[in-house]
Amino acid sequence: MSEQPDVVIVGGGIAGASAACKLAAGGLSVVVLEKQEAYKDLVRGEWLAPWGIREARRLGVEDCFWDGGGWEIREWMTWDEAVADDEVEAVDMTGFIPGFGGPMAFPHHAVCELMSEQAVAAGARLEMAAAKITVTPGPRPVVSYGTPLGPRELRPRIVLGATGRGCTVGRQVGITMRNSMHHWGGGMMVEGMDGWPPDVQAMGTEGDVMFMVFPQGYGRARLYLNFPTVNKHRYRGPGGVDRFLAAYELKCLPDHGKAVTAATPAGPLSVWPSVSSVPEGPPLTEGVVLIGDEAGNADTVLGTGLSCALRDSRTVCDILLGSADWSPAAFAPYVEEREFRLERLDFGASIISRLHVEFGPAAVERRRRVRRLMARNFAAQVTGLLNMVAPEEVPEFGFSEFFAERLFRETA
Amino acid sequence: MMEKKTVHVNGVDLAYVDEGEGPPVVLLHGFPDSSYLWRNQIPALVEGGFRVIAPDLRGFGDSGKPQEVEAYGMQTIVNDVVALTMELGVRRPHLVGHDWGAAIAWMYAFLMPRRIDHLVALSVGHPGVFATPSIEQRAASWYMLFYQFPGVSEELLRRNGWRLFKEIMGRDGDHDRYLRDLARPGALTAGLNWYRANRSPASELRITRRFPPVLAPALGIWGAGDKALLEEGMAASGKFVKGPWRYERIEDAGHWLPLDAPDQVNKLLLGFLGTERPAHEERRPRRRL
Ligand SMILES: Cc1cc2nc3c(=O)[nH]c(=O)nc-3n(C[C@H](O)[C@H](O)[C@H](O)COP(=O)(O)OP(=O)(O)OC[C@H]3O[C@@H](n4cnc5c(N)ncnc54)[C@H](O)[C@@H]3O)c2cc1C
Repeated sequence: MSEQPDVVIVGGGIAGASAACKLAAGGLSVVVLEKQEAYKDLVRGEWLAPWGIREARRLGVEDCFWDGGGWEIREWMTWDEAVADDEVEAVDMTGFIPGFGGPMAFPHHAVCELMSEQAVAAGARLEMAAAKITVTPGPRPVVSYGTPLGPRELRPRIVLGATGRGCTVGRQVGITMRNSMHHWGGGMMVEGMDGWPPDVQAMGTEGDVMFMVFPQGYGRARLYLNFPTVNKHRYRGPGGVDRFLAAYELKCLPDHGKAVTAATPAGPLSVWPSVSSVPEGPPLTEGVVLIGDEAGNADTVLGTGLSCALRDSRTVCDILLGSADWSPAAFAPYVEEREFRLERLDFGASIISRLHVEFGPAAVERRRRVRRLMARNFAAQVTGLLNMVAPEEVPEFGFSEFFAERLFRETA
Repeated sequence: MMEKKTVHVNGVDLAYVDEGEGPPVVLLHGFPDSSYLWRNQIPALVEGGFRVIAPDLRGFGDSGKPQEVEAYGMQTIVNDVVALTMELGVRRPHLVGHDWGAAIAWMYAFLMPRRIDHLVALSVGHPGVFATPSIEQRAASWYMLFYQFPGVSEELLRRNGWRLFKEIMGRDGDHDRYLRDLARPGALTAGLNWYRANRSPASELRITRRFPPVLAPALGIWGAGDKALLEEGMAASGKFVKGPWRYERIEDAGHWLPLDAPDQVNKLLLGFLGTERPAHEERRPRRRL
């Protein structure tokens, strides 16, 4: 006889593990299948927007973030080749949502581990090193997987697919994505960045890199680079790590970025094509609901994937805990809200990508003009709001073609 | 993890680890630790032929967490230790303390000279030295003042993901566990109450300078990287000890000696406990009528 839990969650990342916490706390029987043997640094998102922190609080998992090493960042310095030294501003990020401070940088895998522990403490079963997962949808879906001790089968009432961009569950149940790629990205954890102010994050563009620095306290920081596809081999192979760090030798940074270039790697370097995926239909089918990146994601440049994963988790858990009806129709509010949200985020991310992840003299000139436009007309900064507050809280006009048109035409 | 038991003594539930057989050693942790602090010492001492008793002091770990400041006076906590050892049938243990646990051990030693064998104080010196702290020590102890404001300190420490608390603690000790421990109901207030009951400016006024001498053989250990407690506190403690006194400085350790330098600490403990003889108790001159 196979085990018949209420819910099987495939993938124990931010989306899956947070859902497991909420559902187990709500009294459902939950099995989480995670492919890693132990949580390790996979180079995922580590910058959580204030609205994502609010989602985490609502899910009852906020403590896992802070205990796992979460660090509040307070200021955003606008270091960029298009910003003159005397125009560099410190943007205060602590006041976007009442009751919440600035965004948080955290070690992703440490937080996933704490969340999975919390889920287990609440009664969930966690199966690490789960391999070759297959999901057959239906009113009583079937999940089979391999363990070191042999194959296993589960027959839950519902499956949550939360395997991230790999879309392992989605592909098996016939949910297809429209993918697009604008640039490439890479990321690495560093330590020994003692010269960098711990309250300050930086995002900017110079030459052929768009750089991000998110401090995590105690001289540690998560670094991300975005760069044109033609450079996709630059940070790979022997010497890749050194070239990655050397890319932070930038005129726009204080001391030409010495605090970063002198830092020590503290995790793997990973380089990937930065893909956005929008599902071609609702991200669910009979007996299966997708959450997190697996349900579609905007370009990572916006830094909202984590917040979305948490929002998905909360919305879906509330439905599961609030009603006995788990048929696809019951998830209509989720599907609708998510579609609206992803549309906005995808739109905003494409604006940010075009503005900040395109390179060369024309792109620099455009960034200068956009800055001037924004200084003149505060409303033009609307896109900047999009990575601090929830998408539905950003004024409508920021998502009109008219706005984008204006932004790019007036600055072309 | 070692199994913990619980007893109700002195009006509070105390959880404790009790391992091994032989002469008893009581290990007292400080803020914001628990008996878990001693995980590297317990097996070594058991192996060395001691019975090791390591309580979670009141307010910490799995022990009771009264919420009133008055419940955390030093005398009360010394009484917890007395009551616990009596309950376990231990008459004259060695006492080893770290941080607040060291302060408790010192006090226990001079209040109850006949109920202690050897004394080992880690990081924190004799309260007599702290009765007249240097301005440098006061500056290093700034956080103790900050912890004094009921409700307010808690909120500021917790705010924005415990940001201030993280800055105060740095990456020392079991920094990655403390938040989880302090998130337990009432734990933060309980921990801060130790400071409120014993380190308020008002309590400084109450300190009397005369301390009975420590007769037990005493060993003080201080880590050169300790940012909270300066060396003067330990080095100058000898003058309050009438028994044999030894001071050891460990170069590459900070405040959390049991974690930073487990092997050296174990070696010092095993080489010291039970090796010396106490000073004789002074006969009080009979008062003439
Ligand atoms: C380099 C990079 C930088 C980013 N930066 C940010 C940022 O700063 N801020 C932000 O908000 N977002 C960022 N994102 C996006 C963010 O990381 C994701 O949106 C978020 O991690 C999605 O969470 P998830 O749980 O859906 O998927 P994932 O984090 O991908 O987790 C999926 C989990 O499922 C497991 N898994 C995968 N396949 C299987 C399988 N077949 N069987 C079992 N388990 C499986 C994985 O091991 C993993 O634990 C970034 C992404 C990348 C790649």
